[in-house]
Amino acid sequence: MYELFFQKFQEKVPLTDEEQEQIKAYLTPKKLRKRQYLLQEGEVCKAIAFVERGALREYSVDNGSEHILQFAIEGWTISDLFSFLTGEQATYNIDALENAELVLITKSAHEELLKKQPKYETYMRLLITGAYIALQRRLTSNISLPVEERYTSFTEMYPDIAQRVPQHMIASFMGVKPETLSRIRKKMAERK
Amino acid sequence: MQTIAIIGASGNMGSAISKSLSKGNYRLLLCASRQDKVQAVVEEIKSGNPAADVETIDCSVEASWEADIIIVAVPFAAEKEVAQKIREVANQKVFISISNPLNDTYNGLVTAPDTSAAEELQKLLPNAKVVKAFNTTFAADFATPVIAGQQADAFIAGNDEEALQTVSELVSTAGFNPIVAGDLAVSRTLERMQLLLIQLNMKYDYNWLAGWKILHQ
Repeated sequence: MYELFFQKFQEKVPLTDEEQEQIKAYLTPKKLRKRQYLLQEGEVCKAIAFVERGALREYSVDNGSEHILQFAIEGWTISDLFSFLTGEQATYNIDALENAELVLITKSAHEELLKKQPKYETYMRLLITGAYIALQRRLTSNISLPVEERYTSFTEMYPDIAQRVPQHMIASFMGVKPETLSRIRKKMAERK
Repeated sequence: MQTIAIIGASGNMGSAISKSLSKGNYRLLLCASRQDKVQAVVEEIKSGNPAADVETIDCSVEASWEADIIIVAVPFAAEKEVAQKIREVANQKVFISISNPLNDTYNGLVTAPDTSAAEELQKLLPNAKVVKAFNTTFAADFATPVIAGQQADAFIAGNDEEALQTVSELVSTAGFNPIVAGDLAVSRTLERMQLLLIQLNMKYDYNWLAGWKILHQ
């Protein structure tokens, strides 16, 4: 139920058994079925979700079209951090692309753990720093690299996601039309 | 949208709670040992409200794992066993206990005076947010929460502010007037209030349609 969560945690910040039990007491196990929402735009994001199993996506909708901001598969966390931290309405939706097993850290659990367990604070700092770096990378590549190169680096960095997620969602993640992505893929295949 | 697991959903109280909560914006997972009986409850809900998000699920652990809120609508004697079973997946979740620890002849409680069914449950589930609710309302009250022109009160007790707020909303959805009575230890009083109501019901023949109402200015 929490195996991967603590594996990832221990990779960054080692814990004693006792510390692990203390943190475990604050975690919420949650199953989500395919297509169910973890968060809907307009709600307040009440938890950070860690993926033990399955795949989720975070996206915004404008004029009926979806823009995918992030995917999350096993070992990743996903949340509308802005809403989670400020308590304001979420601007993103999060739903399950596959049946999922999650570990949730609710806002109140998060605050209690920050107070009680310095190692949790360290882990959170590393997690949020990592998220910031990833965001910066994504932004830089979006404004400076051609689509083809971005697609190549995406499939190289995240081969699992590229395999598990439908192409039209990858197109949405890259900010291009599905037709454009399919043209690029064809061109790349021909070149091989 | 929040998901609520109702364990023991085919019983008198469980089915009454399921039906009344299906009016709200919740996803309901109904669970009971008898699949055919709980399926009949789902069908009854769906026939009255085809849009209701309700389905049966055959395992209490699976139901509770999916749920944000767990309602255990089983008699006191069976409650601990259910709690043991779903203990792991109930971590940090709102866990509503509706039971009253009545003895076999309904003239007393089986719990010691310095504790309550709810507090005993909290000891068993230290990381769940146990809330006492719906224990002072009869099953028939759910179909008729306004009795003799008065909306019945429904008392809530628990130690977690957020959980109390969540349960207050549930109680309102069910048609009762929610009153947060205090922390979980107040369950001792609430459980005895229902003992009195049951005794009065039998003595004066209220036909199991009766409830509490606090009169105040």
